Amino acid sequence: MSDTPSVRIANTSFSYPGGKAGIFDLSLDIAPGELVVCIGPSGCGKTTLLKLIAGFLPCASGHVLLDGEDVTGVAVRERQCGIVFQSYALFPHMRVWENVAYPLRVRDVPLAERRRRAEAMLEMVGLSGYGERLPAALSGGQQQRVALARALVFDPRVLLLDEPLSALDAATRLSMRDEIRRIQKQQNIASLLITHDQDEALSLADRIAILREGRLIQVAPPKEMYDKPADAFVAGFIGRANLLDGTVASPDTVDTPIGRIATPGHELPNGAAVRLLVRPEKIVPVTGDPASAPPGENHFAAKVIHDRFFGASREIELAVGEGVVKIDTATREDISCVHIPRDAVQFLPVT
Amino acid sequence: MLSRWVTVAYLAYLALPIALLFTGSFGDLWLNTLLPTGFTFRWYQEVAADPSFRRAFSASLSVALATSAACLAIGLPLAYAVYRTPNPKVRAAARVLYQLPVALPPLVLAFGFILVFSSDTLPWLGSIWLLIAGHIVLCLPYFLQTVVADMQRLGLRALEDAAESLGSSGPQRFLHIVVPALRHSMLSGLIVVTALSIGEFQFSNLVSGFLNRTYPVVLLQAFYGATGFACAATVILLLLALVASFSAAYSARGAARTSMAGS
Repeated sequence: MSDTPSVRIANTSFSYPGGKAGIFDLSLDIAPGELVVCIGPSGCGKTTLLKLIAGFLPCASGHVLLDGEDVTGVAVRERQCGIVFQSYALFPHMRVWENVAYPLRVRDVPLAERRRRAEAMLEMVGLSGYGERLPAALSGGQQQRVALARALVFDPRVLLLDEPLSALDAATRLSMRDEIRRIQKQQNIASLLITHDQDEALSLADRIAILREGRLIQVAPPKEMYDKPADAFVAGFIGRANLLDGTVASPDTVDTPIGRIATPGHELPNGAAVRLLVRPEKIVPVTGDPASAPPGENHFAAKVIHDRFFGASREIELAVGEGVVKIDTATREDISCVHIPRDAVQFLPVT
Repeated sequence: MLSRWVTVAYLAYLALPIALLFTGSFGDLWLNTLLPTGFTFRWYQEVAADPSFRRAFSASLSVALATSAACLAIGLPLAYAVYRTPNPKVRAAARVLYQLPVALPPLVLAFGFILVFSSDTLPWLGSIWLLIAGHIVLCLPYFLQTVVADMQRLGLRALEDAAESLGSSGPQRFLHIVVPALRHSMLSGLIVVTALSIGEFQFSNLVSGFLNRTYPVVLLQAFYGATGFACAATVILLLLALVASFSAAYSARGAARTSMAGS
């Protein structure tokens, strides 16, 4: 049974009345204990996907399976999905422990036991001693923890988190990100987290699923998503990217707006249109007098346009030839030239 | 500094008539002087002994309580329906529609009632039920406004979605989430409804039958008699409105508590 996915979305479609928005023929599995982060620009259908799994929206076609059971026509309250809402949706008139114990109350668990289980869950999320308070008396991060505890207390089949960190301030967001991961691992529960924040996706996910206009573009572990993006959209959405459109000049060079670049060997015919990706941190800045430096392969004279200093690093935009190149570097010195190592150049499909 | 003086002046302006009423209701004689002379409970005793005032007192109380109960029974489902309407245009239209009676002078409503209910097919003019029906039309908008605004503020939809995902059934969501979460706004809505119903004059004056005239209607007669008597009768109206409002509020809170306690 261990190879049964906790969540299987099979060829599912849904479209909102009138508009083009929705989900189109989407398939995705979430393995037991796995955290999949679904990311995409607003309106890409990521929240729709969550609502389809939870049952708030009906599938127009396709199926949703939880632990191998087809729940496509099953009501929301029978599906046993733990959901953390963007607004937390804590019940304002119930104390913290009553909020957490609510799923047990509607399952007719005796009072003493539900109180005990709620307290245990509160301890797990780091809120022991807060049970008697009302939600309004808690900070945003604490409310988030209560929402997590409430979503997990009834041993749901899957945990669904809808932009759980978007309402928090920057500092709390970072610590809650780690907390969510810790709790998710400790409970070993299959989870789907919706976000539009690439840092969140890269740092949290076992796998990232990137969505665009209701279609799944790529599903991959974070490192693979970053190193081998499926197309220019993914490359630009996950991490920063230099995208260079050019034409093939020889079996290992391409003409681009910044000049002729030596690339890894390829099989494309001369004159073919190509799109190249170079990650900013892979470009080597050359400091000092450009005249004294020996001209080597893929060295380009550069002029600084924008220089953003972040302490540990600088993000610099440089004019190179007729194009612009972004680099990430730690150097504090003036940059007169950039070097693009040949193996830092990747080919992306032309769209 | 200026704002403080404006505040003080306005509060005095508000309180002065009420203070004068109080003074007048205990004054023995009040003719052509700034303040009445002498002290007496006579006027209260006379109002209490007057059969038409006694009848009006209980009529007002019954009408106000029935109106409150009806506003709660009609208003909560109606507010819920308006709030949950998915189409924003329909929602806006519904809001205009239910706010309409606020803009409508009660007099117009009364004329409409007289036209319709003095006919031979619907000869109900003068019945207390017709009076209550009119009060419901006049008071319901205020209740709806308060409750719908609270539903939006709370994000009731997300609360219900959360409860549903946690395994709560429709009736459970209503009893565990909707009613207790809205108890404060339902309470203040009911206070407003009761106070409005107790004080309503324009409509009641035209539509109430002779035997179920409400207190404000009978009160008007008092001003043709002794000043002290009129003052005492008015103070009683003031107290009646206060008491009725709070009793409505407390009974609603009690109901909300009961529904919260049950599991």
